[in-house]
Amino acid sequence: MEDYKFLFKVVLIGNSGVGKTCLVRRFTQGVFPKGQGATIGVDFMIKTLEIENSTGQSENVKLQIWDTAGQERFRSITQSYYRSAHALILVYDISCQPTFDALSDWIREIQEYANPKVLKILVGNKTDRDDREIPVRVGEEFAKAHDMYFLETSSKQGENVEKLFYEIAAELIEQARRQKGGLSRTHHSSVTNLGMKSNISNFQSNCCSGSGSNNN
Amino acid sequence: MDLSSLIGFGDAEDLKSSEGIQRLCQRINEREKQVNENLAALLSRKLTLETKVDACLIKHQQLFKTSVSDDSKKLADMIGHTADLAEKVSAKVRRLDTARTRAQEAQQRVDDLINLQLCSQGVMTAIKEENYEIGAGHVKRYLAMDKKILEKTADDVSSMTSVNQAVDTLEKAAKEMREIVKVKLDEAIKKNDLASAERFFKIFPQLGMYDEGISKFTSYLCTKLASKAEKELRQSMDIAKAEKRIQVAFADTFTNLLENVLRVIETNQPILESYYGYGHLLKMVKVLQIECDEETRKLMQDFNKNRLIQRRTNQINDFRKNSANTSTSTIGHLRKASGSIDKLNAKDLDALIAELTIMHSRAELYVRFIRRRVTNDIEKCFANEAMTEDEKKKEHELLETTIKRSQLNILMQDLLSTYLRFESYFMEESVIKAIHLDTYEQGQLCSSMVDDVFFIVRKCIRRSIGTQSIDGICAIINNGGACIEQEFVNALKNILKAGYPSGYIDLAQAYNAFQSSIQQGKIQTSDSEIARTKFLVTLNNADKSIEFIDALYQNISEEIKVAFPNINPLKKEMIESCLSGLKSVGDSMKTVVESGMQQLRNSAIKPRINPWIDQFQSFNHTLTDEELALYEAGETFIQSLIVQLDGLLNSFKKVLSEKNYDILVMMLASDVTARLERVIKKTVFDRNGGLVLDQEVRHLGTFLTGATSWTVRDKMARLTQIAIILNLEKISELFEYYDPKNQEGPFTVWRLTPNEIKSILKLRNDFKIDEIKKLQL
Ligand SMILES: Nc1nc2c(ncn2[C@@H]2O[C@H](COP(=O)(O)OP(=O)(O)OP(=O)(O)O)[C@@H](O)[C@H]2O)c(=O)[nH]1
Ligand SMILES: [Mg+2]
Repeated sequence: MEDYKFLFKVVLIGNSGVGKTCLVRRFTQGVFPKGQGATIGVDFMIKTLEIENSTGQSENVKLQIWDTAGQERFRSITQSYYRSAHALILVYDISCQPTFDALSDWIREIQEYANPKVLKILVGNKTDRDDREIPVRVGEEFAKAHDMYFLETSSKQGENVEKLFYEIAAELIEQARRQKGGLSRTHHSSVTNLGMKSNISNFQSNCCSGSGSNNN
Repeated sequence: MDLSSLIGFGDAEDLKSSEGIQRLCQRINEREKQVNENLAALLSRKLTLETKVDACLIKHQQLFKTSVSDDSKKLADMIGHTADLAEKVSAKVRRLDTARTRAQEAQQRVDDLINLQLCSQGVMTAIKEENYEIGAGHVKRYLAMDKKILEKTADDVSSMTSVNQAVDTLEKAAKEMREIVKVKLDEAIKKNDLASAERFFKIFPQLGMYDEGISKFTSYLCTKLASKAEKELRQSMDIAKAEKRIQVAFADTFTNLLENVLRVIETNQPILESYYGYGHLLKMVKVLQIECDEETRKLMQDFNKNRLIQRRTNQINDFRKNSANTSTSTIGHLRKASGSIDKLNAKDLDALIAELTIMHSRAELYVRFIRRRVTNDIEKCFANEAMTEDEKKKEHELLETTIKRSQLNILMQDLLSTYLRFESYFMEESVIKAIHLDTYEQGQLCSSMVDDVFFIVRKCIRRSIGTQSIDGICAIINNGGACIEQEFVNALKNILKAGYPSGYIDLAQAYNAFQSSIQQGKIQTSDSEIARTKFLVTLNNADKSIEFIDALYQNISEEIKVAFPNINPLKKEMIESCLSGLKSVGDSMKTVVESGMQQLRNSAIKPRINPWIDQFQSFNHTLTDEELALYEAGETFIQSLIVQLDGLLNSFKKVLSEKNYDILVMMLASDVTARLERVIKKTVFDRNGGLVLDQEVRHLGTFLTGATSWTVRDKMARLTQIAIILNLEKISELFEYYDPKNQEGPFTVWRLTPNEIKSILKLRNDFKIDEIKKLQL
């Protein structure tokens, strides 16, 4: 039996083709997969991370990553995973305006099915592409308006991918701590999301410098 | 190099007759034997030489010390000589090898020539006599020959023309045969003559026309399937009516459809294997799948139309949208209220959902069958070395894409999606209804909704296992958890929110009132009595739910294990994760129980017991011996307290579940002991008073222990220790019980701090303050 102190469920959502599966593969297997095709239903992956806590000790965190299919016909499968998610990663493609336009539909889904206190992260993927259609600022504003963290990534080049999942793990540990450790080794459905505002700038400042260089 | 000259005897003329060739072969064999013997002799000499070289090497070391140059020259000569010899030997061996391969080649060419003659003579006769199997056999043998070698042989032998003639005849025959079998197969197909079609299908591979044969014949099979399917689809409703299977009519038809396709594979795979070999099944499956897709598409069209899938889906979606917009809460009763729209009755969906599960599982099993068969076929082909590792991988990939791209697969996904929507709606609506129609029967601990809610959720999850789809099962498990948590837990919470009305209660009366109000639909007895019963029943409902959730988790885990014995580890973990999400709803339920019990404590226990315990103060705890005797003879404080507590507990014992009752007793124990401690601290004791208290505490402990199966010792610990202190003969006796260095003490850990001990000692009017102060604790 492997040893871990925390277990979190992370669910990726967003239109088909924005690169959710590539993000997860890059993170769990360190590769950019070629021609794996659209996800059917939902894929499931596990990765155990070592995270240093505030006292400098490292702790094992098990992430259960649910990579959902973006295609409409799988919605009735994917929707069922929102409720028990500790974190929801909503992904769009920075080079594809329609995937950004669809975000408000996704937000509606989240409101309907997810725990209101779930940790939400907006991710603009494919920063390696030079045909950007969504400026960084626009993504940021959207995230701010919907109480989400924001990060731009490239699963092709691996940019910000590790960071995305590590920051989520660290933030979830923090939340669990504030909840007097009620979360460790259990699957709690209720997550309190305190102190989000104070952290958002920290999360953002790192990512913006990253994607900024891509912009030039 | 000429073959005969290499061998060294015989001449080219010999090769023209079969006997000559035979003779030559024999000679070759003899010569080979000779050569082998020579070789053996040479090799044996080689061994002696090697031994000599070894000996030389030893000598060489000896020589080193004496006359080196002389002997080393000799040695060098000898080594040179040995090398020469070895060179010659290996050259001979090489030549012998060449000779042998040539000999084999010659034999092959000879065989080919014989075949060639036979084939060219036979093929035309066969065609003339419509003996196509034999004709194709000749062509097959001809095709198996290496054309280049054949041409070379033609060059080598003098009767070039006869060889070329034979080749020409066979080429022409092959072409002719190919045309004939194509035409004949087409004719057979046109005439719907299965036997003839099969006959020519079997000939195709002999002529090297694998793909064409499979595609033509399988297409024919498809037309047969199509007409069968059309007929069945037309008759399906009549048959269903006759057999009273209207509700699963489409599932039945779909099952037939898929079984028909599978049967075609079953029947034709052996023919394919024996006439085409392994590795061709996928080609047949691909063609059949196109037909299967088309039939499935038609069936699904009928199904969707007949079962009003689109309309019902829209109804569900509209209803969801509506209730999401209008209701601020998702509690059953409130959601009901949104009702102006054309709402779908969950019960009406029940049969359709069952049909959907059957259909999905059939498709799933069909795909599994195909996958297994084709995979085996590919593996066998690979095992026979008729396929490279790379080709095998490609074939497997092709199989997966064939399945993935098939219309059937897409339709299955839609089917699953429909199933999930309907099932989730069914579950939610039924649960809401069960909560809404909750009934309570007197004498029961729980009301109907607990059994009903869990019956529904279990039914839905079990039904999802029937789909054979892991994704589907996971989704319903997730939704089941969500449904219990959102609808049921919230409903219980809401009832408890109303609180437990305090004041005097006659529970039997309250139940009667509750019952009659349910039956007659109006409230006759006081609201608060009904509210009390409702509160307690809800607490029991929540407690029972904790049990049910655990049982549900266990049962479903088991059933999935049985349904999927060979599940892969990742899928297994996926299901486990979903199941543990379901299990965690039990935690929410525990919170409900805890907070409800706390409410009960605050309104029904604390206010009742406090005045009873405060009576303690009206009993004197400084007593002369006569007073003590008198006190013990009369009704003591503790006796009346216990009677009162017993009455209170009894009023709950029959109406609370065992676990809730135990919690209640524990709460009561905490409250009684805490309150008693408070009043003790306000009382003055003497030696006899301490004795009385000690007895009182013992009685209380015995009573509480008897009241519950849990241990109350912990709750009694402080009181017991206080009684020990107040019952001391003299202060110094304390150290028989209390050892400041060893906190374990003679019987228990001390719960009282040194300061507390001192202040309790001070309650004894016969203990000196100075002495107490001096105590080293
Ligand atoms: N240039 C670039 N292309 C990417 C990146 N990430 C993904 N892609 C490409 O985008 C396409 C879709 O990626 P997927 O990961 O399959 O998309 P998805 O979101 O999982 O899609 P669904 O499973 O259908 O929901 C693939 O062709 C990827 O190669 C990226 O960071 N940069
Ligand atoms: Mg994907």
